[in-house]
Amino acid sequence: MKRNGAVTPYPISGYALCNSIGMNRHEVREALHAGHAGLGPSPIELPFETVVGAVTGKLPDLPAELGPWTTRTTRIARLLLDELGPELERLREAWRPERIAVLLGTSTAGADVTEMAYRQFLSTGSLPEDYDLFKQHTYGAVLHVTRELIGAKGPAWVISTACTSSAKPLASAQRLLDADLIDAAIVGGIDTLCSMTLRGFKSLDALAVEPSRPFAADRKGLNIGEGGAFLLVEREAEPVAMLEGVGESSDAYHISAPHPEGLGARLSMGRALAQAGCSSDSIDHVNAHGTGTKLNDVSEAAAIESLLGREVPVVSTKSYTGHMLGAAGGTEAAFSVMAIAEGFVPASLRAEPLDEKISVRIATQRIDGDFKRVLSNSFAFGGNNVSVIVGAPR
Amino acid sequence: MSRPIAVLGAGAFVPGFEGLEGWAAARPDAEFENPQAALVPARQRRRASLLSKAFAEAYAGALETSQLEPSEVASVFGSALGEAATMIGLLDQMWSETAILSPMKFATSVHNAASGMISIATENRGFTTSLGADFDTPAMALMEGIGIVFAEDRPVIVCCGDESPPDQLVPDGEGWSMLAAAIALAPIDQAPSGAPRVADLAVETATIKGFGADGKLGRNPNIGLLDLVTALAQKRDGILALDRGAGRGFTIRIESENP
Repeated sequence: MKRNGAVTPYPISGYALCNSIGMNRHEVREALHAGHAGLGPSPIELPFETVVGAVTGKLPDLPAELGPWTTRTTRIARLLLDELGPELERLREAWRPERIAVLLGTSTAGADVTEMAYRQFLSTGSLPEDYDLFKQHTYGAVLHVTRELIGAKGPAWVISTACTSSAKPLASAQRLLDADLIDAAIVGGIDTLCSMTLRGFKSLDALAVEPSRPFAADRKGLNIGEGGAFLLVEREAEPVAMLEGVGESSDAYHISAPHPEGLGARLSMGRALAQAGCSSDSIDHVNAHGTGTKLNDVSEAAAIESLLGREVPVVSTKSYTGHMLGAAGGTEAAFSVMAIAEGFVPASLRAEPLDEKISVRIATQRIDGDFKRVLSNSFAFGGNNVSVIVGAPR
Repeated sequence: MSRPIAVLGAGAFVPGFEGLEGWAAARPDAEFENPQAALVPARQRRRASLLSKAFAEAYAGALETSQLEPSEVASVFGSALGEAATMIGLLDQMWSETAILSPMKFATSVHNAASGMISIATENRGFTTSLGADFDTPAMALMEGIGIVFAEDRPVIVCCGDESPPDQLVPDGEGWSMLAAAIALAPIDQAPSGAPRVADLAVETATIKGFGADGKLGRNPNIGLLDLVTALAQKRDGILALDRGAGRGFTIRIESENP
């Protein structure tokens, strides 16, 4: 239970996905297996060119009593909970509501609603009549809707650490289980496209005009995506995979640029390995942070090489979904579970010709096989790093 | 959570008071209207938001009183709205004719801006996080901190704060004034004997009330953490509410004197 030693692995008993390549687990699996990306024109009007990973399927409405909390974020939450219906029914029968936590991550929350409401405010002097900061913008909104829809009464918070937001709840859940404060948790996160985020990354000169090319020699930046992923972590349950370890670290270097040698990344991966109680050669696959920016891909690859060697297959699934920011870590943890459950590592798209400065093995073709242990990286503004290790059921 | 946890130190920033000590003694001082944030190097401080500076001020108080190692201690930052003022500045830029955003403002608009800034300032490569839960933010930040103390057997600083919400986004009379508060927690066996303790973070009936923060300050979503560190500074015992009626009703038990 202590940081310096291996921690108790907990079963991941279910997961749900929604993003630009699919509205559920099955659709996402088919797209990853076939190598089909979900990147296209932005549905948001922008004064520059880029492509995005937009969710294009129909999202469900909220029940009438939750109507005032309706946003794109909360509707994605409902879609994910609907997919988890049978698993949630069993979970509710197994554990008391006070022992079920809701631990989510987002970077945008309801920013998409607020930016349009504020635009109206600037032009008319008043907000839309149905705008409510606490029902539509803040973190409490998605927590309220999720708790109400599943009847959870335990701890509930949203982590917002930019691009690590939805990976860190896996660590929170692990700690609360270790500390015997909960018996089960819904973890993961949701982000939605909004104009401010797209323009913000443009201001940082980080957006690609075309579909992103993580690890490629002539990569030109990232694409922004949206969607979400929820995973169920329990004290005891029939596992799809096991949550074996989560390593967290800080670069202590720069607010928006990664450490050039990937020091923080190496620390988070090393801590995840220590928690999982496994050696570096036991990792079968890495789902990389792999944004497609010049700085990230080189420093991350250096960190992976120094800790895990050159042979482990590395993939950036952001080449399919775009960078889902606050939802990326949870989504890619779910992709890692899928690699174990479905027996394949998706191809890292558009990575060739590879950057010569990158010496790790980028999987440019799908690899079918038996994967026992997968590591997923997420790195963020503020120098915030998380590495999650999931393993095959034991 | 029923097991007790030791309190090693605390800090606060309340505009117009010199730290937690000045606030708990109800001793106003106009010199301390704005956070100094001396913990942060001048170059970073110039770029920091008011909220990040208030966080730095409260966090420094908890560091100083706890004597924890700045480069090693884990930290949990809680805020309901985070960098909302920075967001409004970006929206003003975005919906203006030029429509160009400041990259520096964008990079520091994230909820974990203070967490990142303080990890850089203290050269801390360990754990830090940033969370929100509206008016339950203090209770949930404490719960995340307690998880670290129990599961990892090590100290943590929990720091919560919000600046005034943007006037444009909240109805008249529902805003609040800024505060930040911080508390350093540790396993009992890592604390000096006699250190105050907290226990029983749960939904209970409170037996003691928050101190002297009515009106706008009392509406701040993080008033519960300020109430907690104030009660500890004033050596008051009992069950304290971690919100003032707008949250889910979480409380915590305080044991100020432990012979």
